[in-house]
Amino acid sequence: MNLILFTFIVLLGFTSYYFGRKKAYTIQSTKKRLTALPQFYGYYLAIWCAIPAFIIFSLWAIFEPTIVKLLVLSDYSNQGYLDDELNLIYEKTKALSRGQFTGEITPFIEASAEKYLSLRSIAQSSKAVIVLSIIIASVAYAYKRISSNSRTREPVEKFLNAVLFTASLAAILTTVGIVFSLIFQTIDFFKVIPLFDFVFGTHWYPAKAFVRDSSEALDPTMYSDTFGAVPIFAGTFFIAFIAMCVAIPIGLMSGIYLAEYASTKVRQYAKPLIEILAGIPTVVYGFFAALTVGPFLKELGTSMGLEVSAESALAAGGVMGIMIIPFISSLSDDVITSVPQSLRDGSYAMGATKSETIKRVVFPAALPGIVGSILLGVSRAIGETMIVVMASGLAANLTFNPLESTSTITAQIVVILIGDQAFGDPKTQAAFALGMSLFLVTLCLNIVALRVVKKYREKYE
Amino acid sequence: MIKIKAKDVDVFYGKKQALYNISLDIEENQVTALIGPSGCGKSTFLRCLNRMNDVIDICNVKGEILINDFNINDKSCDVVRLREKIGMVFQKPNPFPKTLYENVSYGPTIHGMAQSKQEMDEIVETSLKKAALWEEVKDRLHEPGTGLSGGQQQRLCIARAISVRPEVILMDEPCSALDPIATAQIEELIDELKKEHTIIIVTHSMAQAARVSQNTGFFHLGHLIEHGSTDKIFKNPDNTKTQDYITGRFG
Ligand SMILES: Nc1ncnc2c1ncn2[C@@H]1O[C@H](COP(=O)(O)OP(=O)(O)OP(=O)(O)O)[C@@H](O)[C@H]1O
Ligand SMILES: [Mg+2]
Repeated sequence: MNLILFTFIVLLGFTSYYFGRKKAYTIQSTKKRLTALPQFYGYYLAIWCAIPAFIIFSLWAIFEPTIVKLLVLSDYSNQGYLDDELNLIYEKTKALSRGQFTGEITPFIEASAEKYLSLRSIAQSSKAVIVLSIIIASVAYAYKRISSNSRTREPVEKFLNAVLFTASLAAILTTVGIVFSLIFQTIDFFKVIPLFDFVFGTHWYPAKAFVRDSSEALDPTMYSDTFGAVPIFAGTFFIAFIAMCVAIPIGLMSGIYLAEYASTKVRQYAKPLIEILAGIPTVVYGFFAALTVGPFLKELGTSMGLEVSAESALAAGGVMGIMIIPFISSLSDDVITSVPQSLRDGSYAMGATKSETIKRVVFPAALPGIVGSILLGVSRAIGETMIVVMASGLAANLTFNPLESTSTITAQIVVILIGDQAFGDPKTQAAFALGMSLFLVTLCLNIVALRVVKKYREKYE
Repeated sequence: MIKIKAKDVDVFYGKKQALYNISLDIEENQVTALIGPSGCGKSTFLRCLNRMNDVIDICNVKGEILINDFNINDKSCDVVRLREKIGMVFQKPNPFPKTLYENVSYGPTIHGMAQSKQEMDEIVETSLKKAALWEEVKDRLHEPGTGLSGGQQQRLCIARAISVRPEVILMDEPCSALDPIATAQIEELIDELKKEHTIIIVTHSMAQAARVSQNTGFFHLGHLIEHGSTDKIFKNPDNTKTQDYITGRFG
């Protein structure tokens, strides 16, 4: 029903666009100069169609449920029901009207359900009637009003401005909302678990919190040795470190090769290939790490008489590094290519060779940008989830042995939130605290990285 | 004394020919100006002299260019040594994003010309003095070279070029980005430098060519139309195209 109505309104919008333009053409054919291109007249009418429709739809969305509920429940007033009971009755009514009610059906509820249905259909049809008539009225009004010298361009531009503004506002508001929910949950978490224990505790064992019976009263002392985040922070940075040990040298060298040495032909094929690599979903890297690299390293270690865990930090970090290579290589390629050719010419003209020029002029000039790309790579490494969940352990060992398994912030958030969870539980809130820490770290990295990159950009402009 | 002797030089960018059959002798310790309308191949010719066209993949140079009677287009020519001997200053000042000191010491470092810090300090100081920049920058040698004014930057690039004591200095419109005062400074400098170096300068300014050069070559559409002493070219050219260009009737 709504869909049909919506389609109809869209059609009306197109029609009014058409009529607006047509009227503009007609005016034009009488040799009068228009204040705007004919399209603007069309857009103008379409807006006169869209705005009333939008207003009425939102009014209905806001008020219809409340009013219908009031009317349905008016039958039950003065019968001494409590608010909660009334709500329950209403829920039952709605369920019955959808045919999903399973309990015992009383005549009362049956009557309400019927009333509910009829009210809904009245609401729907009145909405349709009102929307259509108002739209037609407003478009007709606008159509009559437009003339050779009416201002259509400004309202259209304003409307576009408003639409775009709303879209960015929505993006910003959701971000802000997420950040605030992180903050509040984190604060709640630190009401139970002291910040000191979280930041300096060396024992992370959230499973202990899983066994709590939620009917018991919350006893903070029982968590004293549960949420010490040091091992997982250490694990996060350790795995990221391994990843960067793989990604930085290979990524940088391939970036330099692409930018300075590769012929146009090689570059033409190599660059898209590397960018495809960047598009491989991280799960794929994850099972690559868990099924191929991990067991391979274990076997290799065993053959050399080393004890290697099948879920070693090395496997996870190494594969993560491979994932980040295209990122660093592509970014540093861009940065190096944007070093002005005149600098290279200056160096060659002094008799410098290619490698000297790269080492002494191009690389230093590109360094800020390269540092920026590395920092962005680090923040990806720290935020990466799938690979560590699949390939590194889930037990938070405090170790710096790459052959043992460790866990990371992201993997622990997954561990905590898989399965049953309740808001207000320290275990769930711990995930928010971890998320908050992660957010802060990557935020700082990104800010620094973007600053550095921007500074570099300004230098040559 | 003839320093550089170009014989039948053809240059191609891909399939397109940019220079036709250029033969030109350059006198030692004199200033030679190359003039001609935009796109006629002046820069291309200049870049042949220190093999800078090697940097451009599609560029192909044919013919002989003898410097001190040695053909630089020969396979046995070591480009690094060649460019040490033939310095270049570009149209747009292009100091490296390094300190002034590092800019000037760049060439000597690459060619291993200084054994000690003192020696390097000396090279930097004399180069900057010769480029008439020393007085202005002696207290800020360790600040970035990009922080100088355009004219100062160009003089820094000249200092960089002469730091390796080249025999020849190629200048491609060195004053086109500069104001009249900076231009006058550079012209004075060129006059000074020609005592020790052979200088070839590309310029769009007839007045500049007349002021600084002893010899002039006029290029048009890839051909060297006429060359000879500046006096002759400006006062009494053989070719009417040269006459027209110099008097500003086309170009
Ligand atoms: N890198 C290049 N690739 C292809 N063609 C080029 C290249 N550089 C120059 N050319 C061509 O070679 C011809 C000569 O160019 P050149 O730069 O030598 O002219 P010019 O005399 O220095 O001009 P201007 O006075 O504008 O600097 C021009 O037709 C130009 O289009
Ligand atoms: Mg040129």
